[in-house]
Amino acid sequence: MHKVAEIEVQHDIIIANKKLAKRNQRILDKADVFAIDVLGAIGSGKTSLIEVLIQRMNHKIGVIAGDVISKFDAGRFKKYNVPVVGLNTGKECHLDAHLVEHALEDLPLPAIDVLFIENVGNLICPVDFDLGSHLRMVVISVSEGDDTVEKHPLIFKDADVVVINKVDIADAVGADEEKMEADVLRLNPDVVVIKSSLKTGEGVENILQALEEYINESRLYIKESQR
Amino acid sequence: MHELSMADAIVKTILDIAEKNDAEEIIEVTIELGKLTLLNPEQLKFMLEVISEDTLLDGAEFKMEIIPVEIECGSCNYTGSIDSDELDHFTPILSCPQCGERDLKVISGRECNIKQIKIEKRE
Repeated sequence: MHKVAEIEVQHDIIIANKKLAKRNQRILDKADVFAIDVLGAIGSGKTSLIEVLIQRMNHKIGVIAGDVISKFDAGRFKKYNVPVVGLNTGKECHLDAHLVEHALEDLPLPAIDVLFIENVGNLICPVDFDLGSHLRMVVISVSEGDDTVEKHPLIFKDADVVVINKVDIADAVGADEEKMEADVLRLNPDVVVIKSSLKTGEGVENILQALEEYINESRLYIKESQR
Repeated sequence: MHELSMADAIVKTILDIAEKNDAEEIIEVTIELGKLTLLNPEQLKFMLEVISEDTLLDGAEFKMEIIPVEIECGSCNYTGSIDSDELDHFTPILSCPQCGERDLKVISGRECNIKQIKIEKRE
């Protein structure tokens, strides 16, 4: 005899990832590592920005370089003699907490103050996947068109810092960077928006300052919660 | 775009549960999908069917229940649904229906939940 049974499952894939992400954050907090998830479109300047920050920040830096094929970006970071783990996502369009958990195992966390997690160049898929980072920084550039924020609202809603890069070529590509900034703030009034050009150095000081403020706040928070 | 990895995680979870419950066949799967996830229900269903081939899930019916968006407004304390029919699924720019505030807490609408499975088992 066969019988039909209904089984309540109630297993949410997004929540399961969130739980893993929280576990990652506990590992990071314990090692006193501040992690920054760097998201953004392909070619917006994510890797270049991390390269600048490695050189300019007064912290011991580590990097998780996530990409479909990660060896290219990982190779760029290794030149600065910082610990780097490349995460190949293969056909996947985003990092998830499980992948990052394994990358954390391969990093010398006690020797790192600030960890950059460079996500796959994509404004859609990474949105649903928390990684356990303390800060989400989205990097876009004027060359993607000044309607890019309107077209991908959710990634900006969850961001802490948004960098609008390549403003030096805004006129040449016919993009209005002021409109892009206004669009971001309309979606997320609390976000820090910085217009930059990594080529000319414009805005880099502001990015450094914003990140330092978040790092200091986070340190205070961790100390308080551990009391 | 990430329907494939979602489908993969869903199928693995269901097969695990079905095995633990001595299922000989899985007849039906109900999945709750929030309107704010950037998942396309039709694409997800297609991926689920493809990955299910040659498993216990082969031939099962996948039912998608779309979960509407509910928010909590920090400005006027409105709690409840947003008329998301006016929203394009892919451009959910949210604002409070009562006061227009855009800084909102999303209570529901971001689910990708395996709610229930219906299996056939030997008595």
